[in-house]
Amino acid sequence: MSELSALAKAFCQWCSNSFFGHGVRNSVWLFPSIEIIHLLALGVLGGTILIINLRLLGVRFRNEPVSDLARELQPWMISSLAVMLVSGFFLFASEAEKMYGNSAFRAKMASLALAIVFTFTLYRKVTLSEETQMSPVWNSVAALISLVLWTGVGLAGRAIGYV
Amino acid sequence: MSLARFLHWLSETGFSATLRESTWVEPIFETVHVLTLTLFLGFSVLLDLRLLGVVLRRRRVSEVLAQLNPWLFAGFAVMIVTGVLLFCGDPVAFYSTIFFRVKMIMLVSAGLNVLVFNWTVGRRVVEWDQGLSTPMGAKVAAILSLVLWVGIIAAGRGIAYALPPP
Repeated sequence: MSELSALAKAFCQWCSNSFFGHGVRNSVWLFPSIEIIHLLALGVLGGTILIINLRLLGVRFRNEPVSDLARELQPWMISSLAVMLVSGFFLFASEAEKMYGNSAFRAKMASLALAIVFTFTLYRKVTLSEETQMSPVWNSVAALISLVLWTGVGLAGRAIGYV
Repeated sequence: MSLARFLHWLSETGFSATLRESTWVEPIFETVHVLTLTLFLGFSVLLDLRLLGVVLRRRRVSEVLAQLNPWLFAGFAVMIVTGVLLFCGDPVAFYSTIFFRVKMIMLVSAGLNVLVFNWTVGRRVVEWDQGLSTPMGAKVAAILSLVLWVGIIAAGRGIAYALPPP
């Protein structure tokens, strides 16, 4: 076992045995309640990302500059992402040892890392730059990559319960 | 035919059995149902927040409605189709859970809320959508909508826990 996976395994065990891991696992209501929060934040995060992507593709809000729309929706995107990460972490902690070996969970974390890095680097550059500096081709490319990455996160997330 | 007998009859049909016995139907429809929340719930929440004047403030309400509505309706159609198909796989079990009944009541209420909005304050949207703040009626409709959708999501999750595992 490589050092990295040993570290990941130790982290999963620590989460699972922590007070919040125990707490969520042993409560009847906590897990479903956190899941509801996770889903509500999914709606808002997905909604804001979809609107920005539909604008990048030139399908909706065609008369608005991309950067205006992106700037206005950004706080909602970032805060709903934060809610998803925090609620997701508590859901994970309650089953952390099981999640360590769950291939769908691993795939979800890998695509999530990619999606976050992409969103806050290249995607951010495309959406927040002034219209004239970017070729419209890059808008479409960025939108498609964003859609693929986030859909991947969602699909892998759904798969966690089935594998 | 009473509702109970209809649901029993539905569950005995070949259509229901096919949905129930397939390995792929439940995961696929459930996945589409949940991921379409991004489109339907996300757009609804953003619209409600616009009616409350907290997001997309510089855009006219009528413009936001016009831009979001077609996609919102498409998302709603997908939610309904996948939801009905999931229900048809096991109608008796679904109907027997309190969560399902509460969810249906809240869904109808959310629909009525949209109708009332469209008939009243929404009908006059061009008169007020230039202003900085929205009328009280629009805010009430938005808050009702947000509360109902939170309840519908919660009840929907409740169904998953109340149903016997597949």
